[in-house]
Amino acid sequence: MTNKDPITQINAMAQTTEEPPKEKKGLGIEWFAENGIFIFTALLIVFAAIFVNGFASLQNITDVFHRAAPIGIVAVGMTFVVISGNYLDLSVVAQVATAAVIMIAVSNEYGYIPAILAAMLAAAVYGIINGVAVGYFKANAVIVTLSTTYIGLGMLRFFSGGSIFFGPPDGALAQFGAGKLGPIPYSAIVLVIMTIILAFVLNRTNFGFTVRSFGVNEKATRLGGTNTGMVIIGAFLVTAFSAMIAGFVLAAFSNTAVSAMSTGYDFEALAAIIVGGTSVFGGKGSVARTLLGVVFVSVLANVLVLLNIGFGFQQMALGLLIALAVTVDALARRAGKK
Amino acid sequence: MAAVVEAKSITKAFGGVKAVDDVSVSVSAGEIHAVVGENGAGKSTLMRILSGIEFQDTGQVLVDGQEIEKSNPKAAIDAGISLVHQELSLVPEMTVAENIYLGGFPTKAGFTKQNEMKQFALETLKEIGVEVDIDERISRLSVALRQFVEIARAIARKPKVLILDEPTASLTPAETDYLLSMLERLAKQGLAIIYISHRIPEVFRLCHNVTILRDGKLVYVSEIKKTTPQEVINQMVGRELKMDLGSRRDAKPGEVVMSAKGIRAPGVNNISLDVRAGEIVGLGGLVGAGRTELVRAIIGADNKTAGNVTITLDGKEQQITSYMSAMRNGVAYVPEERRVDGLAMTMTVNDNVYLPNRKDLANNGIINPGKVAKVAKALADKVGLRPPEIKREAGQYSGGNQQKIVIAKWLHKNPKFVVLDEPTRGVDVGAKAEIHRLVKALADQGTAVLVVSSDLPELLELSDVIHVVRDGQIMGTLDGAKADEKQVMGLAAGENLVEA
Amino acid sequence: MTQQESIKLGAQDLTTWGKVKLAIARRTEGRGVALLAIILVIAALTEPLVFTAYQITLGRVALVGLVALGLTVVILMGQLDLSVASTLAASGVILALIPDLTLGIIAALSFGLLVGVVNAFGVAIIGINSFIWTLGMLFFLRGLALVLSDEAPVKLTNADAGIAFGQPLIGPLTPRVLLFILVFILIQLFVSRVKAGREFYAVGGNPQAAKDAGIPVKLRIFTGFMISGFVSALAGVVNTLERTAADPIAGSTVLLASFAAAIIGGNYLKGGRGSIVGTLIGAAALGVLQVALTISGVQVPVQQIFIGLVLLLAVTTDPNNLRAVISSIRSARSSRVKIQEPAPESKNQPQVDG
Repeated sequence: MTNKDPITQINAMAQTTEEPPKEKKGLGIEWFAENGIFIFTALLIVFAAIFVNGFASLQNITDVFHRAAPIGIVAVGMTFVVISGNYLDLSVVAQVATAAVIMIAVSNEYGYIPAILAAMLAAAVYGIINGVAVGYFKANAVIVTLSTTYIGLGMLRFFSGGSIFFGPPDGALAQFGAGKLGPIPYSAIVLVIMTIILAFVLNRTNFGFTVRSFGVNEKATRLGGTNTGMVIIGAFLVTAFSAMIAGFVLAAFSNTAVSAMSTGYDFEALAAIIVGGTSVFGGKGSVARTLLGVVFVSVLANVLVLLNIGFGFQQMALGLLIALAVTVDALARRAGKK
Repeated sequence: MAAVVEAKSITKAFGGVKAVDDVSVSVSAGEIHAVVGENGAGKSTLMRILSGIEFQDTGQVLVDGQEIEKSNPKAAIDAGISLVHQELSLVPEMTVAENIYLGGFPTKAGFTKQNEMKQFALETLKEIGVEVDIDERISRLSVALRQFVEIARAIARKPKVLILDEPTASLTPAETDYLLSMLERLAKQGLAIIYISHRIPEVFRLCHNVTILRDGKLVYVSEIKKTTPQEVINQMVGRELKMDLGSRRDAKPGEVVMSAKGIRAPGVNNISLDVRAGEIVGLGGLVGAGRTELVRAIIGADNKTAGNVTITLDGKEQQITSYMSAMRNGVAYVPEERRVDGLAMTMTVNDNVYLPNRKDLANNGIINPGKVAKVAKALADKVGLRPPEIKREAGQYSGGNQQKIVIAKWLHKNPKFVVLDEPTRGVDVGAKAEIHRLVKALADQGTAVLVVSSDLPELLELSDVIHVVRDGQIMGTLDGAKADEKQVMGLAAGENLVEA
Repeated sequence: MTQQESIKLGAQDLTTWGKVKLAIARRTEGRGVALLAIILVIAALTEPLVFTAYQITLGRVALVGLVALGLTVVILMGQLDLSVASTLAASGVILALIPDLTLGIIAALSFGLLVGVVNAFGVAIIGINSFIWTLGMLFFLRGLALVLSDEAPVKLTNADAGIAFGQPLIGPLTPRVLLFILVFILIQLFVSRVKAGREFYAVGGNPQAAKDAGIPVKLRIFTGFMISGFVSALAGVVNTLERTAADPIAGSTVLLASFAAAIIGGNYLKGGRGSIVGTLIGAAALGVLQVALTISGVQVPVQQIFIGLVLLLAVTTDPNNLRAVISSIRSARSSRVKIQEPAPESKNQPQVDG
């Protein structure tokens, strides 16, 4: 018996299966989960342009942009929380309204700079409270942000007394809100800039990298020398600052602010993120895809409005859309595991 | 005496490798039959087949001459085979009584018959002579108590055959003593018992017969009276002392780099050890001896309850208080569970390599993909990743290549102290040799290396010093150049056959 | 060799006081009791009206608690049901839309069961995280309630029945309070005495063990979500009857309050630990808090802040989470303390925290 042979045998015995490198399959549910959104968005737009009266007008396109911009800004920010595997941040509803109210109420009294600083402070508080509770205390993100939503909205209603704030009609904010580049309002340009910046942060910075790798494998990320609590705080801060900018945009567009102005943003943003192809299981997704999801969700909402379909049906459609998208995602994951 | 349970020519392969190869065992009423073997010898797989959890490729399981349906745990239980799992399978927030009857509560119109259930539970516990508050929740019990509740659950099914897989792993000597006498008593009442253990003294005290498995094959069957502990260990290891001198390196240990003093953590009881520059220290022992817990406590990956760890670099001593401080001081860690702790499976090789080297490769936190790709490519070549495509997802690689990725990601930092936990588990032969080469090369460059391995040839080939761990303590320290497998196994299994 | 006949592990002979201490240590409701005690003391000192007007207080506890009871069953299995509030609203609208009261109640309650089935289908069969799936249901059902009601409150056809329903039935107890007590007793019996209910703890606490022991895990998940859906629908029926009208956006704070009640009551969000009694205590604490705040003239938004804070506190101070945070702090500190020479050859087994 030679020296090497028994060792070799032992080795072979101790082994579990040695699987060959797997190749990605072609068509199928996985392909659909990846690429279906492109087809559906294209189909929806073509359908709307041909069959829906008033869709293909310049005015309507501007309207779509106006509506899509604040939700889209929230969605691209919240993508960070979803990719990190923490489901979503419900408190964006409170965050957007807080930023909008602060923007108008404070700027009316003290000017824009103090207003922006105050709004940034509020955003930082939201991001840090959510992030610490989820990142360090390992509390469930859905429940944490549900509670901060109510705390935030409660405070906003208390301090604002539930009243509506109006900005001066000729103020810089109102001018910005009404400003357009061709048919494209400034707010949509802000959305595009935010998308580019956040896509860069997610894909090309160390912080964004750790958000992605946390979503894939929390333990390996920690053992790779990452303060994972700080990563989660960071993800919630990105969401909070995006929500703040969304609040500014929303306040600028309507030149008013009230605590109830962003109802439903949490859900529409989530719908856009999931429909865009970012997985609720974390790890997989991108900011650019979220932008695509925003286009789809906004066009769909616009079509429903143009078809005179009520708010209730719109909500139901969104609920169904989410259910469909997560089902496809779950099935694709299952197929991928086989 | 007629056999109560009989396994006939059982064969089971996992992906072409035979985990159990044509093994037959038979046990009669009142007999306690030991099944022993090294880690990975196929004992647990065989028992899982007997209890219907796993299905065999060929062969039969018979109880009282009746063949049992393959892969049907319920059929096995009904036929009278009861397995006490190695991993505890109790529900933490249910009471002792409820856990004993989990899944089979006695009911009347859907309502659990509390008194009857408690009565049954008390009787069962009395049968095994364990006094425990049956209304207590499992989560409030010690690990030892949970083990006894597991046994009570198996007994409550009124088995003909009781299989225990390493039941004493978490018990104190007194509790172990009691468990063994309890099993003797049960056997006297006519129960057939299959007792799986690495612990040779227990086997010699308790069992009537012993079956030894090695590499999935049955190599030795004997009455306990007719054999000796020395013989059993020889048969378990099955290899005469063989040292491939060519494969050992010439170690030149330098200054102490890592010094751990008085480490305590769950499963680790007061261990101190040093690792020097250019030295490979091996931690031998059986699975569950506390080695993984020890290394994780040393590098701060898990919390320790007491102890002190220092890393000395260029004459400067640094305290290791957390995993982050360990990383800052040149510690690299290749964890035991690469799929869970080591790799982000759906990220590319590139990304996985980047993870621990972010600070070094980025400009002010901004990723430079070109630079990362260059480094990743160089590292992939260095460790011999095949195919060396750094844009491929880590999960698409085989086990051996995945392990190479885990090692590669640490090499860029030129670590001063490297911890490898079971570096070649689930790795093919070729990759294993390459990983050994890499580890030796690291030590030759002056890196301090700590290796945990259950693979004896590997441990002996790599280590300059071997500490053998059992029950969270170092039971003996051997010179890696002179030690043999029997010495390590003897210390690990609790039979001091050699002067340590 | 003398054989030891038995071994004593953990079973102690206790004094009476020892038994009391043990009984307390076994419970999971500690935080809920503490909160309730604090709130009761403060209320007694500042707003004794809370106790003299106990009818109002009880009604409020029942409002908060009913939905929370159903929710608890789902939480015990490590799942969440975020659709409870929308189920309440939608089933209320269904009741109001059907002229015949009996038929309406049957339809509304059946609807709740149906919602439970859909929820469980997504979670158990498709395999989607319950937070996300039931969040989708939350919005779908909210939309449905708006569609069915044409986005306006619907008046109950048989308003007299509703008015009669609001009256005390036995002593000062209104049907709402009685129903709450009944549901509490039924669910308490279910999870503590009924085989299927007891097994919820196994499904949440150790799913693999539950499966190995032959417990039909998926069926249990269906049962749990159906209970939650049914109880939410029942709450919707009660609300609609009492108000003699159904509000399609009813129950906006119900979601928050019911989660707060269940979680502060000691129900662990990852499943397997908690109790219906805990939820009752949590609901009592929140109910008293709300009534006390209302009597003191505190505005609704501030009440929301209070309940939100309770929930945030509850979810961050779960004993399991806290233990992890504390042990990592302790570990970092212990490393900095110089230790004395290791004691030689101690044979102690590592103690594992029970």
